[in-house]
This record gives sequence, C-alpha cells and structure tokens, in this order.
Amino acid sequence: MASTANEQAPSYPTAIAFCLTSTIWFAAATSFGMIAAGYLFAPDFLANIGWLHFGKARPIHVNLVLFGFVTPGLLAAGFYMIPKLLRTELFSEKLGVFTAVLWNVTMLCAIVGIGAGYSQGREYAELPWTVDLMIVVLFVLVIFNILMTIRQRKESILYVSVWYITAAVVLTGTTYGIGNVIWKPDTGALLGIPDAILLWFYGHNIFGLLLTPMGLAVAYYVLPIATRSPLYSHTLSLIGFWSLIVVYTHIGTHHLLQVPVPTYLKVIAIVDSVAMVIPVMVVLINLWFTVKGKWAEIHQDIGAKFVFAGTIYYFFVNIQGSMMSLPVVQRVTHFNNWVVGHAHIGVLGFAGVTALGGIYFLLPRITGKPIYSRFLADLQYWLVLIGITGFAIVLTIVGLIQGQAWINGETIYRVLPQIQPYYIARASLGITIMLGAYIGAYNIIRSIFFNPGATAK
Amino acid sequence: MYFPYLIAYMLAGFVISLITFVWALNAGQFKDQQRARYLPLQGETGPASARPSRFYRFKIIILFTLACSGLVSTAVVIVLIVLQNP
Ligand code: HEM
Ligand code: HEM
Repeated sequence: MASTANEQAPSYPTAIAFCLTSTIWFAAATSFGMIAAGYLFAPDFLANIGWLHFGKARPIHVNLVLFGFVTPGLLAAGFYMIPKLLRTELFSEKLGVFTAVLWNVTMLCAIVGIGAGYSQGREYAELPWTVDLMIVVLFVLVIFNILMTIRQRKESILYVSVWYITAAVVLTGTTYGIGNVIWKPDTGALLGIPDAILLWFYGHNIFGLLLTPMGLAVAYYVLPIATRSPLYSHTLSLIGFWSLIVVYTHIGTHHLLQVPVPTYLKVIAIVDSVAMVIPVMVVLINLWFTVKGKWAEIHQDIGAKFVFAGTIYYFFVNIQGSMMSLPVVQRVTHFNNWVVGHAHIGVLGFAGVTALGGIYFLLPRITGKPIYSRFLADLQYWLVLIGITGFAIVLTIVGLIQGQAWINGETIYRVLPQIQPYYIARASLGITIMLGAYIGAYNIIRSIFFNPGATAK
Repeated sequence: MYFPYLIAYMLAGFVISLITFVWALNAGQFKDQQRARYLPLQGETGPASARPSRFYRFKIIILFTLACSGLVSTAVVIVLIVLQNP
C-alpha cells in the first residue's frame, strides 16, 4: 500500500484531510458554544427551536470540540510526523483519507443524533449508540494505519511522540467502547453508582489518555524543530510517558469525590492526581529546557508559537487540576463554573491551541509555501488567547461566587442575578474565540487550496 | 455485577502495558538515547517557512484595541455588579 512508485516528495493527503476536518468543526463547535452561552444569560434566546435548546446545544458543543476539532487537529499532526519520524510513508494514505471522510460523516450524525433527542445523557458519552459504533470504527482504522506504519518503519527507535500517539489511539479505541457501555445499545449505561465510576474512568481518559498524550506528542515534535535544538533529554521524555500511563489511568474518581463511591477509589484518585505533578513537570522541564533562550525562533514560526502557548496552559491546567482533586478545595469548586473554566483551559487552552499549532506547523511543510496569511494567523492567535484567558478569569470568579453560595446554603435562583453580568462577559469573550475560529478556517483553507505562495502576506 | 468487567479490563490493560514495556526494553528502545534526541531534526533543512507578519504595526494597534476593550468590559462588569449589590 505504501507507494514507492514515484520519487516525488510525499504530499500527506491524510494530514491535510484531518487539518480541514479540524478547522471546519472548530468553527461549528464554537458556534454551538455561543448558542449555549447565549442561553445562560438570556434563557428565552432561541426558545422555540426545539433541536437547539441548551440541553442539546451544550452536548453538541462539547462533542464537536472534543471529537470534531481537537482530536482530528492533533491526528493531522500525527499523520504527518509519524511517517517522518519513522523514515517511511504512511501505511495507507487512501485509508487515512477515507478515515477523515468517515470522521466528518460521524460528526454530522452526532449533531443530528443529539439534535433529534437521542442523547444518552451521560457527560462526554452523550453520542447515540450508532455514532458510538462509528467512533470505535474510526479509532480502529486509525490504530491499524499507525501500527502498520510502525511495522514498516526504517528507524528502529520510536521517538517519544510516536509512543504518545500510539498509546493515545490504542487506549481510547478500547476505553471508548467500554466507557460508552456499547454492549447495551438501548441505554448505553450501567445501573447506579458503578455507572458513574465507569463513566468518569472513561471521561477522564478522554482528557488524560487521548488529548494529553496527543498534545504532548505534537509539542515534543514541533518545539525541537522550530528551535533547531535536539530534545533536552529523550530518557526523561520516556520517564514522563511511562509515568503518565501508570498514574493517569486511575484518577477518574476525582470527579466523584462528593458521591458515595468506595473510599479506596477516592483515595487512589486523589493520591494519583497529586502524583500527576511528576509526569507533568517532567514534560515541561524537558520541553522548556529544549527551547531555552530560543524565543526568537519560537516567535518566527507561528505553529511553534501556538504550541509553546499550549505548554503554558498545560502547566496551569494541571496545577489547578491537582489542587481541585483535594477534597477541601473541591468542596468549594465542585458543581459550578470553576470546573467549566478548568475545562476550557485544558481542552481549548492546552489541547486545542496545540492542535492549531500543529496545523500551522505542518501546512507550510506539506504545501511547500508559507501559510496564506501570517497576519491572520497571528490575529487568530491573539483572539483565541484573549478569549481563553478571559474565560478562565470570568468563569473562575463565577465559580467562586457559586461555590460560596452553595456552602452557605443559598438557593440557586437567588444567585442567578448576581452572576448574569459574568455570563454576558463570557459570551462576549466567546465571540473573540469564535471569530478566531472562522478567521483560522479561512486562512487554513486558503493556505491549502488558493495559496498564491511566496507573495503571501 | 459490574466488577468482573472492570477487573478483567484492568488486568488486560496491565498485561498489555507490561508486554509493551518488556518489548521496548528488549527491542533496545531505551538505548541510544543520545541519537533519539535528534530524531525530529533529521531531514529538516532550511529556515522555517512561516515568516513573521509584515503588518506588525497593524497587529499592535488591533491588539491594543482588543486589550482596551477587554479592560473596559471588565470595568463595566465590575461597575454593574457594584451597582446591583449596594
Ligand atoms: C494533573 C492533571 C489534572 C488533574 C489532577 C485534573 C483534575 C480535575 C478534577 C479534580 C476535575 C473535577 C472537578 C470537579 O468536578 O469538581 C477535573 C475536571 C475536568 N478536567 Fe481536569 N485535571 C487535570 C488535567 C486536565 C487536562 C490536561 C485537561 C484537558 C485536556 C482537563 C480537562 C478537564 C475537564 C474537561 C473537566 C470537566 C469535567 C466535567 O465536565 O465535569 N483536565 N479535572
Ligand atoms: C465561542 C467559544 C466558546 C463558548 C462561548 C463556549 C461556551 C461553553 C458553554 C456555555 C458551555 C457549557 C457550560 C455550562 O454548562 O455551564 C461549554 C462547555 C464546554 N466547552 Fe466550551 N465554549 C467555547 C469554546 C470551546 C472550545 C474551543 C473548547 C475546546 C477546544 C471548549 C470546550 C468545552 C468543554 C470541554 C465543555 C464542558 C465543560 C464541563 O462540563 O465542565 N469550548 N462551553
């Protein structure tokens, strides 16, 4: 399948197809996010459109950002760097492009399924059974393509990025079906507390064993190249990888500290959440030492600029996460917008920004031309960064107001007027992110299809 | 009865991780770490193709406007809250 017939430089159609997938769903997902944000300060907003009320717009937003924007964006970089790092070609570009097309069909089915009311109602596992099956098939196709590429490699050593991406897709491929209780098509759930435990085992794996390793894989690839420096330590990076596998797999129950689940599970989750400091700092020390003193090079490459910003958010989200796993802190931060703030710092600030960085890094290398407009890319960078940082600040403040209110036994409806202005601020900040997504989509589509080349702005 | 599934799954995960680790050890994945540091750089020639923007000044003006509007909206929110909760 890996064609060796011609001597032309490879054109990486799979990576391009995943770039397009990611960029289009980024725009769509932020639009649904805006609709959800609108409902929070104006509950009658779009009230008569049944398939678009908050209960549907929210899961559509969340599933589209996770499976439509961030995962394909990181996979795009994966499908570019794995063949390069292994000094071979992708096992099958045809299979890769087919996977990307099926990926888009799956996302469309996800919107229709949730919009039509077939949500399974478990957070991060809302997608209806048929869409669940499609996602499992997608991951099987990706795993097959990647494992076969590894098999035909000409480089014996697997660079740490290859370890991370392979682990991410293999682990998610298996966890997805189990977490979505795929063997029970009618409910997609177990009964009672065991269901909550299974759901959050799966839910946290989506952040910890899909987005995190794939994001780190991209950072480990992009930053050394952009700064023309070898990785500070490959041994350290492997220690980070294996400690992530050991520690991150058991921390799902930190989402259930206020729930009557067995205490030993809570203890394991808390201890390992704090221990996460090890894999996190190992990665950051390694990456930051690699790029030390090379700020000019990072600023010169817009892809590296996004990826580096992603590492900063990675630092914040993990330190915040370890704190939030302590029961005494979570008594205030649970069940309110603090967690939503954390979610946006992690999924958008770290994983999403890194995915954008990966896309901007690989596009000029694949097309052989600079991106269509460096200016628009810079503009998107700032719009997205201002939006996320604003989200983090506003949502954290709202979270603290709500947290104190719940502790003091205040009723929800009396708190609502107090937090409404913050919801307005959050929606305004959302506009900057959405604008960034649309500008990025324009820039990326032009870079791929209608790029004048060296005359690029 | 949920735990037989979970225990089976945990065991499978543990065994697969262990097998992978032992394979990596035997396949020399932890050797030659000095060369591994350079793997991303192989075949990378020439300067990075993305160039800095020529609209630098324009960018600064837009960023300044954005930052100011952010500050103004924060100020408006604070004033609104203070007015609403005397
Ligand atoms: C050291 C690493 C991390 C720890 C210890 C951690 C800890 C936590 C905790 C304790 C919660 C639950 C809060 C509550 O419900 O009260 C949470 C929620 C969440 N975390 Fe993290 N986090 C970490 C890293 C990340 C990263 C890297 C991401 C994204 C890529 C992420 C995404 C999320 C999301 C989306 C939620 C919201 C879940 C929900 O909908 O309830 N976290 N995290
Ligand atoms: C236009 C920009 C965006 C807006 C206005 C927005 C708005 C929202 C809203 C209103 C919610 C529901 C929160 C609630 O139930 O109180 C939400 C949840 C969420 N959003 Fe966004 N969002 C935006 C962009 C993004 C992006 C780009 C990502 C990821 C790359 C993202 C990831 C998430 C996640 C993971 C959740 C679930 C949080 C949780 O359950 O704790 N959002 N967003």
